Amino acid sequence: MNEPITEAHYRHEALLYRGLADFVRQTAPFIRGGLEAGEPVLVVTGVPGIAALHAELGGDAERVRFADMAEVGANPARIIPFWQEFIDSEGAAGRPLRGIGEPICAGRGAAEMVECQRHESLLNVAIDPTTPMWLLCPYDTTGLDSAVIEEARRSHPFVTEGTHRRDSRSFRGVDASGAPFAVPLPEPPSRGQTLAFGSGDLGAVRDMVAGRAAEAGLNASRVQDLVVAAHEIAANSVRHGGGRGVLRAWRDNGSLICEFSDPGRFDDPLVDRTRPPPDAAGSRGLWLANQLCDLVQIRTLSSGTVVRVHMRLPS
Amino acid sequence: MSLLRGPAAGEQPMAGWLEGEQMYGDRQLVIRHTIPTNGLSLAGIIDIHNADHVADALASQLDGSGDLHLELSRVEFADVSGIRALVSAAEDACGRRRLVLHGLPPLLHKVMTVVGWADLPGLELCSCGSAL
Repeated sequence: MNEPITEAHYRHEALLYRGLADFVRQTAPFIRGGLEAGEPVLVVTGVPGIAALHAELGGDAERVRFADMAEVGANPARIIPFWQEFIDSEGAAGRPLRGIGEPICAGRGAAEMVECQRHESLLNVAIDPTTPMWLLCPYDTTGLDSAVIEEARRSHPFVTEGTHRRDSRSFRGVDASGAPFAVPLPEPPSRGQTLAFGSGDLGAVRDMVAGRAAEAGLNASRVQDLVVAAHEIAANSVRHGGGRGVLRAWRDNGSLICEFSDPGRFDDPLVDRTRPPPDAAGSRGLWLANQLCDLVQIRTLSSGTVVRVHMRLPS
Repeated sequence: MSLLRGPAAGEQPMAGWLEGEQMYGDRQLVIRHTIPTNGLSLAGIIDIHNADHVADALASQLDGSGDLHLELSRVEFADVSGIRALVSAAEDACGRRRLVLHGLPPLLHKVMTVVGWADLPGLELCSCGSAL
């Protein structure tokens, strides 16, 4: 493939490939191109892809930073802060950067997949457009549904297939990428337990979540993590969401899910994935929830805001 | 709730601390002066309902000299706004006095680390008597 240079602005590009050998064939020249230009390169993908790239790149792999997407992106809302740290640490004084990030693979569950897709859209607004970073997001077309590939075309301004590198005609645009996420969440399979809470009920929220979490088999540390997240989200409802909210909790598909609904709304689409500066007042609850819990889903609906927090249960 | 309690979850403060006069109390939190250490003990819950009062209580103790010591082993739960009250006191005192946290429950330490408040200047975490 003819390798153009990293441009003087941010480029978010999907790469559609067919299987591991094709992944290496398409990404190794991109990595080498970056190394030859003296650009820091960060690759966040699965362990098989990392191993295959090591084998292909030989000694050059020493100059590439690799990270396992299963760790970095276990909760996909942690990926944008990871890229932001790469930009902050390596991209000083406008130094060009290259990245490969593969958050979407066939092993993701349905809820995770939706949040990974939201993450891909948010990458259009999270990274400053003047950042000279070329970010390539590989999608394995042999293992993913065609609907997932169609969404990749909507969430990336550029798409590469085979040797064709082109603008994506179905890209939804930067503004729409950061618009409130209004796609409704699936209804729970059972009614579960419900608690309407107001300002004086945060202790009852903590007790209900701790009880459900312990009963579902989470260990003490994970129970605490979920209780802290639940308290902060309920406190957000009390302070900013009209002073009240409704908590529901149920189990689904190997996870415990706690849902908080209130009539308020978040204006900042990156509120849950912007690392708070140490001295700022402001809300940290959703950031904290993403660091402590396995998945956090935020939806802005006509009725207000819905936040679902997922914790995987031990099998 | 016992799951969320600190390392000294009983009625008494950690060994070596004597409690004096109560300086603040509400439905979920009691703050007392401690003897002989130049400090305060906090027992109960610190959250959005009383974080401002806690901040005021700490500020009122920060005009003296020497470090201010807080005994936190009986803090059952503190949310981000509650921890923020401790952190902002440390920020205000920075350069003049340090705020030293004793018996910090592991959960509070974890939250402070995640939100980036664990290593601020002016704040010292003492591992005495805690599970840090």
